Amino acid sequence: MICWSCEKEGGKGPFCAACRAILPPDAGPNAGTDRFAVLGLPRRFEVDLAAAEAAYKDLSRQLHPDRFTKADPRARKAALARTVELNDAWRTVKDPLRRAEYLLELAGYALAGGEKSAKMSKTREVSAPPTFLVEILELREELAAAQQAGDAVKLAFMSEDMRGRAAAAMKTIGTAIDGNTPESLDEAARALMSLRYYQRFLDEVQAHEARAAEGGGGG
Amino acid sequence: MAEAFLQISEPGASPTKRACQTRAIGIDLGTTNSLVAIVDGGRPVCLRDDRQQAILPSVVHYAADGTIVVGADAHDRLAAEFPRSTIASVKRFMGRGPGDAEATRKLTPYQFAPPAGDGGNVVRFDIGAGRAVTPMQVSAEILKVLKARAEAELGAPLDGAVITVPAYFDDGQRQATRDAGRLAGLEVLRLINEPTAAAIAYGLDKQAEGTFAVFDLGGGTFDISILKLEDGVFEVKATGGDSALGGDDFDRAIADALLAKWNLTEAAATDARLVRRVLDAARAIKEKLTVEAEAKVEIALPDGNRTAHLTRTEMELLIEPVLMRCTAPVRRALEDAAIDLARNPQTASESPAALSGVILVGGATRMPLVRQFVEKLFGRPPLGDIDPDEVVALGAAVQADVLAGGTGQGDMLLLDVVPLSLGLETMGGVVEKIIHRNTTVPCGATQTFTTFADRQTGFELKVVQGERELAEQCRSLAQFTLKGIPPMPAGMARLEVTFTVDADGILRVSAREETTGIETKIEVKPSYGLTDEEVERMLLDSFAHAEEDVQIRLLTEQQVEADRIAAAARTAMADSPDLLTPEDRTAIDLALTALATVRAGKDHHAIRAAIEALDGASKDFAARRMNEAFDRGLRGKDLAAVEAKADETAPKRDLASRAGGHSGHSH
Repeated sequence: MICWSCEKEGGKGPFCAACRAILPPDAGPNAGTDRFAVLGLPRRFEVDLAAAEAAYKDLSRQLHPDRFTKADPRARKAALARTVELNDAWRTVKDPLRRAEYLLELAGYALAGGEKSAKMSKTREVSAPPTFLVEILELREELAAAQQAGDAVKLAFMSEDMRGRAAAAMKTIGTAIDGNTPESLDEAARALMSLRYYQRFLDEVQAHEARAAEGGGGG
Repeated sequence: MAEAFLQISEPGASPTKRACQTRAIGIDLGTTNSLVAIVDGGRPVCLRDDRQQAILPSVVHYAADGTIVVGADAHDRLAAEFPRSTIASVKRFMGRGPGDAEATRKLTPYQFAPPAGDGGNVVRFDIGAGRAVTPMQVSAEILKVLKARAEAELGAPLDGAVITVPAYFDDGQRQATRDAGRLAGLEVLRLINEPTAAAIAYGLDKQAEGTFAVFDLGGGTFDISILKLEDGVFEVKATGGDSALGGDDFDRAIADALLAKWNLTEAAATDARLVRRVLDAARAIKEKLTVEAEAKVEIALPDGNRTAHLTRTEMELLIEPVLMRCTAPVRRALEDAAIDLARNPQTASESPAALSGVILVGGATRMPLVRQFVEKLFGRPPLGDIDPDEVVALGAAVQADVLAGGTGQGDMLLLDVVPLSLGLETMGGVVEKIIHRNTTVPCGATQTFTTFADRQTGFELKVVQGERELAEQCRSLAQFTLKGIPPMPAGMARLEVTFTVDADGILRVSAREETTGIETKIEVKPSYGLTDEEVERMLLDSFAHAEEDVQIRLLTEQQVEADRIAAAARTAMADSPDLLTPEDRTAIDLALTALATVRAGKDHHAIRAAIEALDGASKDFAARRMNEAFDRGLRGKDLAAVEAKADETAPKRDLASRAGGHSGHSH
């Protein structure tokens, strides 16, 4: 990119290679920088979160618009765009589910409900087996019945079981994504789909608890 | 000699008493009290008046001769004598229209003037003799006094100011605060949230690291923020609150009880002086009972003197219901702060036990009942070694110094969040959240939408703010249209909508149709954003109606999906009659009729089932269409284009089963 300040070739980094002025992210047709690369991380599921957070904060210190309050308007604009990109990258990377969704999207999977990536030449889809859907449906009915009956023991048991399933699915997803073969990616996508069902189940458990707390303890 | 240098150092400016790196100031513009602070020698300090008082009561008196009196004199002497022309707690009226403010006006001595011709939607206080002032003007008088105090210490002109606002202030309230600063002749570098400012001051002073909750109960607002402090970075994890809840409400609860006891409730409705005196007495009682077990206060009333006598226990019974309103926002913020932990099942049990401490801010947190309440809520005693009055102004001064280029705080950086979710209204009035609450600013997000109807040439975009599922229950921020898209089949146009929120919290929305490149942009800057009550109501509602909303949403989504699938099937049948066997046609027609019947009902499960039945019935037909498309593709057409076309016309789930590798009917 040509630097707005010194008008020399400034390179691809956030700062001009020649004069160190802050440069905006590439906005061209091939933009959409890899969110892992923004944080200087390899594109994989296994992440050292402590190191990633340190990198995020270090970059924030350098790129945040607060660092450019008195600077040239072009520098302020570049800082804003860089920080938007950085915050977005960190939001994706720090959360295991978003991270998995993003990696699968990069691998070409169209995941309904996930964030849309701009240009995908081809999409791959997986579907949940009917037996799985039936099982989930039955579990949801069982949950509803237990909630109706106020069966606290059963509810605790069911949510514990579901948390176990969710944890197992998350683990599968991580390993399968980093396996990085077409088969393992399919496996990861299917596990992700199951995880979403588990998550919805747990959301319902939480919503019910919140309602119970409001109704019972709110006075 | 030093004096001589000082005199020539800044032509046209008064000599400075301090050797500060910047002339940036931090202002805590509070409901009850306001303060100003600067950074001196790397440490923030509050500036005092000639009576050595850091606190300036946020009370402004407009005398009949045009004189304006701000602070202790206005509060102690003039408020009781001239209740209508002495404005206290003006912050509760900032950024409000007259309708919004009416509820707040109750049990205050003020009268509103009829709206002015120009800025018609601004509340104006009638201060007698045909004069009226806006809340911005009243706040500006307070700011002018603080500005003068700072200029006397630092020399003019100032580099700028950071003013604090409740974290839960909406765009309209923030805009009004900014305007007040401008009216006072200040360059407002940034508005920052009060709990965040408190955390900055506390964190820097104590070299604290870890995750802290800031419980900020001021005169008129309640904020709860969860922040992570690490290596000089102050990262807000979650924020919440109630911008119409504070110490004032305790006073009112006590005053209401006194008026009721003396059978004066009706008289109070028309007697401003009576209201002012009883409110003052209530506040005096509250303050006394903070340190003592019982309190007696004499009040001179029009029909003779009365003695208000209350024990602490009696008062606590009166204010406890008000205090309980803090519970839900605290729970929610704790939950939000742990959101990535909660989504990672392996570590779900870690929070909120991971809190390092609870910081108390605001005068109301001095009350023993409030401290007990906080201790119970968080399961630990709050941190006690901090002045709840000064800490916000001190933090604001630090941020002002950093923004003005001061280097005293090293690499200090503040990362704040969006307090309420921002989204777009989609088909059926359902809200698609684009930026979720508690996302770190600045931030941006892009979502792709598509046309719903064949030959649709425009998109109507409604930008909303709030947590509810349906647009009509959220606050509408802006509305705009993207026109001129060439007619295409439903689902072909791809509308990319981008939301950007900058470091000042201002939202910009742009929309672009991908296939044509048609584009539009707006800056969302509502003159009146959400009112306090609206924010509160919307959040409370979102809990009360969560279940109902989800049902409506599920139903709407299935209805939209049903229409989409039915339209796709009809289009496909019309396009490729040659590929349709009579059996297929019968089965698909039957499935379409069944779908139309349940579509009219309210059972989303039934609609889902009917959609899947239609999928099943059209599976073979869709497969033939796909094969034909591929054949055509192999005959030299661009395969990607053919696939894209197949994607748009064939029912979706058929593609899924193709990729999944099973072709049998599942129903």
